[in-house]
Amino acid sequence: MQDGAAVNGPATDPIAAALERAHHVLPDQGPIGVFIHHNTLHAYQHLTFHDGVQAGASLLGARPYPELETFRAWHASGRIADDDVAAAIAEHLGSAAKDPIIPGLSRALLWRTLMLEPVDLSDGAGLRFLAATGEGPARSDAPRWTAALERIGRGPRRMPEPAPLPKRHRDALVAHGAADTDVLVHAELVRLSAGFLDQGQARDAMPGRGRGFLAAVSALYASGARPPRGCEGVVADFAHIAGDDRPALVVIREALDALDVPASAREEYLLAVALSLRGWAGMFGRLERHPDENVGGPPCSLAEYLAVRMVFERRAVAAACARAGLPLAWSNLRASVPASAPRAPELDALLLWGLTRAAGLAVEEVAALTDAALARVWSAVESCDDVTRRALLLEAYERHYRHEVLDALAARRARPTPDFVGRRAAQVVFCIDEREESIRRAIEEQGPEYETFGVAGFFGVAIDYQGLYDPVPAAHCPVVVVPQHEVHEAPVESDARWAQMRRRLRDGWHALERQVGRGSRTLGLGAGLTFVLGPLAAAASAGRVMAPRRSLRLRDRIAQRFAPRPRTKLSALREEWARTHSERGKPIGFALEEMVERVTGVLRSIGMVRDFAPLVVVLGHGSTSLNNPHESAHDCGACGGRRGGANARLFAEIANRADVRTGVAARGIVIPDDTVFVGGLHDTADDTIQLFDLGAIPASHEARFEAVCVVLEQARRESARERARRFDDAPLGLTPEEALAHVEDRASHLAQPRPEYGHCTNASAVVGRRALTRGLHLDRRAFLISYDPSIDEGAAILERILAAVGPVGAGISLEYYFSSVDVETFGCGTKLPHNVTGLIGVMNGHQGDLRTGLPLQMVELHEPMRLLLIVEATPESLLAVAGRQPEVAELVVNRWVQLVSVDPRTGAMQEFRGGGFVPYVPAPRALPEVQRSVEWHGRRRDFVPPAFVRAGLGLDA
Amino acid sequence: MPESITLALAAAVLAPMAAALVVGARVLLAGSLPGERFVRTVMGWGLSLSALGAVATLALWRGWLGPAVSGDIEYGSWLRIGSYVIPAVARVDDLAVALSMLGAWLTWLVARFSGTYLHKEPGFTRFFVLLGFFAAGVQLVAYAGALDLFFAGWELIGISSALFIGFFHERDEPMRSSVRAFATYRLCDAGFLMAMVSVHEVLGSTRFTVLGLANTLPVWETTTIAALFFVAAMGKSALLPFSGWLPRAMEGPTPSSALFYGGISVHMGLFLLLRIWPMLDAAPAVELAGVIIGSATAVYAAAVARIHPDAKGALAHATLAQVGLIAAEICLGLTTLAMVHIASHAMLRVFQYLRAPNAIHDAHRLGHAPHPVHAEGVLPSRFEARSYLAALHRLRLEDRLDALVAPVVWLARGLDWLDVRLRQALSTERDAR
Repeated sequence: MQDGAAVNGPATDPIAAALERAHHVLPDQGPIGVFIHHNTLHAYQHLTFHDGVQAGASLLGARPYPELETFRAWHASGRIADDDVAAAIAEHLGSAAKDPIIPGLSRALLWRTLMLEPVDLSDGAGLRFLAATGEGPARSDAPRWTAALERIGRGPRRMPEPAPLPKRHRDALVAHGAADTDVLVHAELVRLSAGFLDQGQARDAMPGRGRGFLAAVSALYASGARPPRGCEGVVADFAHIAGDDRPALVVIREALDALDVPASAREEYLLAVALSLRGWAGMFGRLERHPDENVGGPPCSLAEYLAVRMVFERRAVAAACARAGLPLAWSNLRASVPASAPRAPELDALLLWGLTRAAGLAVEEVAALTDAALARVWSAVESCDDVTRRALLLEAYERHYRHEVLDALAARRARPTPDFVGRRAAQVVFCIDEREESIRRAIEEQGPEYETFGVAGFFGVAIDYQGLYDPVPAAHCPVVVVPQHEVHEAPVESDARWAQMRRRLRDGWHALERQVGRGSRTLGLGAGLTFVLGPLAAAASAGRVMAPRRSLRLRDRIAQRFAPRPRTKLSALREEWARTHSERGKPIGFALEEMVERVTGVLRSIGMVRDFAPLVVVLGHGSTSLNNPHESAHDCGACGGRRGGANARLFAEIANRADVRTGVAARGIVIPDDTVFVGGLHDTADDTIQLFDLGAIPASHEARFEAVCVVLEQARRESARERARRFDDAPLGLTPEEALAHVEDRASHLAQPRPEYGHCTNASAVVGRRALTRGLHLDRRAFLISYDPSIDEGAAILERILAAVGPVGAGISLEYYFSSVDVETFGCGTKLPHNVTGLIGVMNGHQGDLRTGLPLQMVELHEPMRLLLIVEATPESLLAVAGRQPEVAELVVNRWVQLVSVDPRTGAMQEFRGGGFVPYVPAPRALPEVQRSVEWHGRRRDFVPPAFVRAGLGLDA
Repeated sequence: MPESITLALAAAVLAPMAAALVVGARVLLAGSLPGERFVRTVMGWGLSLSALGAVATLALWRGWLGPAVSGDIEYGSWLRIGSYVIPAVARVDDLAVALSMLGAWLTWLVARFSGTYLHKEPGFTRFFVLLGFFAAGVQLVAYAGALDLFFAGWELIGISSALFIGFFHERDEPMRSSVRAFATYRLCDAGFLMAMVSVHEVLGSTRFTVLGLANTLPVWETTTIAALFFVAAMGKSALLPFSGWLPRAMEGPTPSSALFYGGISVHMGLFLLLRIWPMLDAAPAVELAGVIIGSATAVYAAAVARIHPDAKGALAHATLAQVGLIAAEICLGLTTLAMVHIASHAMLRVFQYLRAPNAIHDAHRLGHAPHPVHAEGVLPSRFEARSYLAALHRLRLEDRLDALVAPVVWLARGLDWLDVRLRQALSTERDAR
């Protein structure tokens, strides 16, 4: 990251300091075409989870945790048990829990009451109305209510919440009831920013944008534009700026000078300004730090954005202050803001009413409470403020799920299962993605001879991949890795001529499609085209809306019939390829030694070092959907928000090479000659599985391959059925075929805002042998990472795994956490009014902030919790890894993930908390047992607790 | 077959209204929101029946089911005050059937789309009830045989349009935009009302059939009346200078934007011009003004559409460009061409709006298109900037209109202030007693 301070002078300058902080706290999301899941509050990761969340949320005006009402609903539905709440309070209060506050009311009981009972409200008028109409407390316990009101009347009282201080002129103006200047400033900024940052959605680009935002905007206005109403003076300002090429920081300083913001207040003031349209500001900052994401775009600078903003803001608030008769100088304006109203006595009375009820105090005792006792109550209430209550309830919420899963793992370990003897029929390697848990289970349920593995879905081959029709190569690997190799897809020789012809056809068709699309939006050409396109559009919309699946299939079938995709191959081995380096200077394909290393690395990592099956299927994943600007958020995180099919195909091709196998054998892993690897792609939206390079399968394996295909066919249907139960517009009890049709329908429907639910079920990650979890129904909630501690001397493999899985898993889990806790601030709200802008993101309606994070439709089912990371390794190994991997250590020590160690030999579990490992003794739990998964989840919509699936355990009915 | 046509027309107009009322009654009686399936089913029936009515009307009008029916179909009188009669009369002709078919088809399609798109949206029921009122409004406008009935349908469309813009009423911006659209409609509808009363005054009736006598009136009368009608059309079809509300209308859910501002509502002003064509044709000055305003709107909107980087805003202005063009066509007398243009344009834009969220997917699929700088090499660089900003700021139309109506706003504020003071004074006096 470019350091704002280093570029803009010493950080003691408040403007530079504000810029540097803004770079950190503004949304860090790049253009939406490639969606990378990350911790929304990544800037706070150096703090502990609770401190970071509270600091970040308060700065952004967001919710740090779910609302108390939400937690109470979970408590009522049994999702949080009483002992979870008690444990969370006890852990937090320690010995202070037993402090008596008033007779019958210990500190712990007071906290519990505040957390679970609605006795501490903030709406005084509403409560007064309820009480006056004889509802609420006046109904359920009227004498106590009268007594409490009377006692409150004699004091002492609780202090009122201080009103939020205005952070900039606009806040003070709004507090005074004057016009909101942001309406006009934002209207101006949104249009300018969208025009400037556009990556090619508009037909015409903004003139002069190559010179940067400030220069471009000032040149535009200096040409004699009309200023927005209520913002007179900006044209002259911009003319001056354009006249002497004034730098951004000077422009900002001058605006702050004009508004009389004292030096001591400047940093906070400017930060508040930056955060008031944070999507757009964040995009300027992001593209400044990552110019590589700004395809063909102009140079971006957050400082310049803020400079432009300040020019408008200064004039707008000056005019508004003048109109409202308020002082313009910041200190005076700030001091003029009216103080907050006093606290309604009913609010205090309700609190006293509720607490004395919980304590079991008689009504007379309420009236007789001394002033000192009442003051003690208030001070105890102060120490358990709203945020603390919610933080503890989150702990309780997480504890409930954590214990459920850990107990299930203990039960799994205790459950005797028959050993598998003989050779497996097939092994299937998936991505670690929790969405693949169901299909893995579905494969294993078809017999003990099928085994599955999980490894980060780029399969150890970090590549810049260029598919047959991709204009440029794109990185297919985790975002923290920069690929050192390029791999291209090219037609096989026999199809070369057809491929060339098809490419010309395709290019011509696309050019036509683009021309027609653009032409239909113009005046003259549009008029002509309208008459032709209108009837065609009517037919197309009828087909696409009434029969989404069939109409799409028909199109594909026609395309495949008349212009089939040529057969292709990958440029896997470097020597075989004509060019050895691409224009970008990267080697094309891998050298033999590099291939051997990649294959050995992956096989060792997942513990597949012996007992190879004759067929090993390697499946990457991706997701296809329509009308979905967030499509990429459903793709493979381990492939940097892209699809993992190419990586799987490449890995299989490499692993099938005889020379590679010789090299791998030299490193101690003997792959039998009759083992064949097959690469493929699993689409998580419509559950199709596409297998590549079937020509490589020898005739001897055809029968086996047929059998595996049948297994995969069955598994994807079961997976579709398991997914369909969460979509409440799919009836329960679908057959596997109906379920498959249903999910295919979703993926091809233009009107479908939920083609799939994505990662919204994520909750835990299990790093270890499949034996830990095989036969357990984990409800698509667990990332499953294969790892065999018995072959990992010195935890070197574990280190590599955790270095990748820790940040990726935590990034996904925390992005979902924040977007679901506050979908309007951290997330991007409902998709329905979204408007794709500049090919970089979505905004609400016609001119609004650029919305970052995840939409409501993706997170609505999510249970916001920190990732429960369960690792089959001793605490010593984990501490050793943490010592070498600072990012993993930070996540664990600061509790952004919950880490649990499972001893590989004894199965003993230890939770990481309070800076060290604490043993966890699982409660003996008799898990429900079903023959097949569908019997457990088939008739239910909501999350299901873990259960044994006998077929997965290798047991008969 | 007069009875059949009566029934068919009644079904086309009343079925969606009845369906909306059934859903509304269910909400009021049960005091809770009905399930989505109930809403979808009831509205599905209403809209399908309406479409069936439209098809039946087409068949009867074409004479496929016996002797062809056309002209005025009488339903008695709607209201009678002294000698003033508001006739309940429907009119079956080529224009009516075309709009009715188009409206029924597109509404049905969008309803079908929305059943999936709005699943789990808290405003699901509200959306479909509004859609029902809108559908009834469109059919009423299509088949109205007199200006009064036409106006009733016109207003149903207007109010549902404003409510759809403000659909997400928990945010400020949709509410601001909704009020702006509503205010524009009200302002321009004043023209309609005055024109309607004038027509009754000078021709003795508000039936469309009497407009044929327009060429017997003095030119100043036809010019005034046609101009007033044209003002109404300008508001509904967002012609200059009333174009500011159209991009703001993108605040609603995607399918309602498609149906209203790509499909039907934005073309309603044009339909009005076609309906009162004899009056317009008798006012050459208005026709000339119409050609100028229509072409100006077309050029303006096409320029804005070029530089709009957001999907829906660009589509809104692309739509407006054609709407302006069609307005000019009508004023040039090319009425048949105009109606065909309206129909194919509506079908095209609805589809494009419904696919608007696919912009990024398409850009990936088609590859990046050239992205030239605005007007580079076409205009001198100074004008390049001015033309870009003028398009970006949409000529500051809203600011200019605001400045124009500012005195009215001040007056209203003053009256409000006076009102509050007076009431306070009165109530203190009463309390004192």
